[in-house]
Amino acid sequence: MNARTLAALWAGKLTSRLSRGLRRGGGTTLPGDVSRWVDPRILTTLARSLDQGAVVVTGTNGKTTTAALLRHILEAQGRRTVANQAGANLIFGVTAAMVNRATWGGGLDANVGLFEIDEASLPRLVQEIAPGTIVVTNLFRDQLDRYGELETTAAHIRRALTKGPEGVTAVLNADDPMVAALGDGLPRVVYAGLDDQSLLQPELSHGADAKFCPRCGSAFVFDGVYFGHVGHYHCPRGDFARPSPDVRATSVAIEGMERMRLRISDGTQEVGFEVPLSGLYNAYNVVLAVAAARAIGVPIASSAAALRDFTPAFGRMERTVIEGRPAVLLLAKNPTGFNEVLRTAIQFGKASSFLIALNDRIADGRDVSWIWDVNFEQLKDVANHIVVSGDRALDLRVRLKYAEIPADRMEVVGDWKTALKRASEATPDGQTIFVLPTYTAMLELRAVLTRDGALQPYWQGRPVDAKP
Amino acid sequence: MSRPLLRIAHLYADEMNIYGDRGNILTLQKRAEWRGIPVDVRAVGRGPAPDLSDIDLIFWGGGQDRDQELVFTDAVAHKLDAIREAINGGAVVLAVCGGYQLLGEYYVTAEGKKLPGLALVDLHTVPGRKRNIGNIVIETSDLGLQPTTLVGFENHSGKTYLGPRLRPLGRVIQGAGNSSEDATEGVAAAPPEEPALRRLPTHASVTTAGADPF
Repeated sequence: MNARTLAALWAGKLTSRLSRGLRRGGGTTLPGDVSRWVDPRILTTLARSLDQGAVVVTGTNGKTTTAALLRHILEAQGRRTVANQAGANLIFGVTAAMVNRATWGGGLDANVGLFEIDEASLPRLVQEIAPGTIVVTNLFRDQLDRYGELETTAAHIRRALTKGPEGVTAVLNADDPMVAALGDGLPRVVYAGLDDQSLLQPELSHGADAKFCPRCGSAFVFDGVYFGHVGHYHCPRGDFARPSPDVRATSVAIEGMERMRLRISDGTQEVGFEVPLSGLYNAYNVVLAVAAARAIGVPIASSAAALRDFTPAFGRMERTVIEGRPAVLLLAKNPTGFNEVLRTAIQFGKASSFLIALNDRIADGRDVSWIWDVNFEQLKDVANHIVVSGDRALDLRVRLKYAEIPADRMEVVGDWKTALKRASEATPDGQTIFVLPTYTAMLELRAVLTRDGALQPYWQGRPVDAKP
Repeated sequence: MSRPLLRIAHLYADEMNIYGDRGNILTLQKRAEWRGIPVDVRAVGRGPAPDLSDIDLIFWGGGQDRDQELVFTDAVAHKLDAIREAINGGAVVLAVCGGYQLLGEYYVTAEGKKLPGLALVDLHTVPGRKRNIGNIVIETSDLGLQPTTLVGFENHSGKTYLGPRLRPLGRVIQGAGNSSEDATEGVAAAPPEEPALRRLPTHASVTTAGADPF
C-alpha cells in the first residue's frame, strides 16, 4: 500500500470517528467520499486483499435483505465478511465500509466482500472491485425522477454483466422477465426462482412493468404471478420464456410474521429451510442468497443450517417497541415493495394498526405520484387506525381517501414523536403496530426510537431483541 | 340506472400507465361514483380500436420509452379515426405525458427520429438538452376551475410547443412547463370545429383533482 492510499485510508477513518463522535450519523458514506478524494483508487487497492473476492447484490427490491442473508450464511461458514450493511449503497458507501473495516496499517481483517449496490452504480463498482458473483434480485419502477426509466436501469446492469470481469457468475431471478433476459449470452448464469404453484396469483398488479417480450414486444402470457410481474411467463410467439431455475424453492409456507418454511432444490438435493422472515418477497431473497452462496461453494444444506437464526436487516421487518406496544418496521419505498409489505402485514401479521410515513427527499424520490400505483385498497376492510405522517402526509391522506378508508380511522400527524405516540395509543392490547415508512422517513423514525433506547443505532447493525 | 352514465376509455392501459396515471382513472371513477354517477372504464389496448363513439372521456397517460414506442405506430394506424369520432360525438380527452405528446403533429425522439403523431392538436415536441424534473405549480387559464391553481410533478426532457391559436392549460408559476421557454403548461384545446371545449369545465371539475391532487 503506497503513501497516498494510506493517507486516504487515514483520512477516511478519521472522518468516520469524527462523524460518530459528533453524532452526525454512522459514518457509512462520508469516509468513502473523503478517502476517494485523496486516492480515487483506494477501493480497488483494498478489494485486492479480499482473497475470496466479492459478491455484489443489485436490483430494485431485496438488496439489503439478500446481502444480509448471504452474509449470515458465509459467516456461519467461518468466512470473514466485510459489507456495507447499513444500506449506504452507492460507491461511497462501499468504500466507507472497506475503509472502516481496514486497520490503520492498511490490513483488512476479512476475506470476502458483500456489497449491495444501487443499479446505476453497478458498472463502476464492478470495474473497481471485479466481483466474482453478481446477484440481480428484480426490476420494478422505482423513483423514476431519480433513476429514469426501467430500461435504462436494465441497460446499466447489462453493461456491467457483459463487460464485467472474466469468470463472473450472474445469479439471476428467473421469475422476473427483465432480470432473466439479462442472462442472454452470458457464459455463467445461475437462475433462481419459485416453483410453488399453490402461491401463484392469476393477475398482474399495478406495479407490474415487464409485461412485454423483450424480443418481439408481444404481451407475455403469465400462467401466474407471485407478485408484481414476478412469476411464470412466456411469450405467445415462443420468443422468450422463463428459464428453468437451477436453484428453486419447490414449496413455501409462511407462518405469521415469525418465519417461513421452504424446500429448496439445487437439482441434486432438496433441503428444508426455516428462516425467521415473513412475506413471499423474502422467499425470493432467501432463494437468491442460497443460490449465490452455492455459486461460491456453500452447499445448500449448510445455508439451511445457517439461516435458522437469521436476524432481519435494519428497517426490514425489524421488531421494536413503541411506547410499550410491539411494533414492526417495514420499509416501503416503491409500488411493488409497498404492495408486498402491505400484503404481508395483512395476510400474515393480521395487521390493523398502521403508521404510514411518506417523505419526498432525494433518497425517497421527489415525485410522490407512485403512491397511486400502490394497492392501498387492501387496507379498506382491515385498518382500524392509520397514522398518516411524513413530509407529504397530505398527499398520502388523499390517496387513502380514494382507497375509501373511512376518515374517522385516519389521522394526519406532523411530528414523529407524536405520530409514534398516537400509533401506540390507538393500538389495542395484544396487537402490533405496523410501521411502513419510505427510506428517509424510516431513518428519522429510527433516530427517534434509538434515542428512546428501543433500537440500536443503525451503524451497529443488529436491532436489540425487542421481540414481544 | 341500467346504463353507465360516465364512460371512460383508458387508452393503452397496459402500455402507458406511468406513475399517477392509475390515480387519474381512480380519481375520475371515485368522484363520479361518490356523486351517484356509475362509471364504466374500458381499457383499450393495441390492435384495431373498438367503437369509441359512445365514450364520454378518453384518458391517455404516459409510458416508459420502450413501451411508448410500442404504441406509437399502433396509435396512428388504429386509433386515429376512433378518437376523432369520439371527439365528434362530444368526448373529452384528458391526455398527460406521452399521450399528450402523441396528440400533436409530431414527436422527435432523443435520437433524432421524427415520429408522426395523431395531429389532432396543433402542437409538437422536440428533444431538450435538460430533463425537467420537479414539482410544478400553474395558474390555470380561464376555464372556470376552482381553485385556479394546479399542482403536480413534471418529469420530461421533451420540449412541447403550442400552435399560435391554442391556449395553454395554464401559466407556470413554479417549474418548467411545456418547453421551459414560454411559461405555458399543457393545453386546453379543441379542434376549432368541435364542441368539446365547451364541455371541458364540467368534466374538468371532475378531472382536476385527479390530475394532481393537492
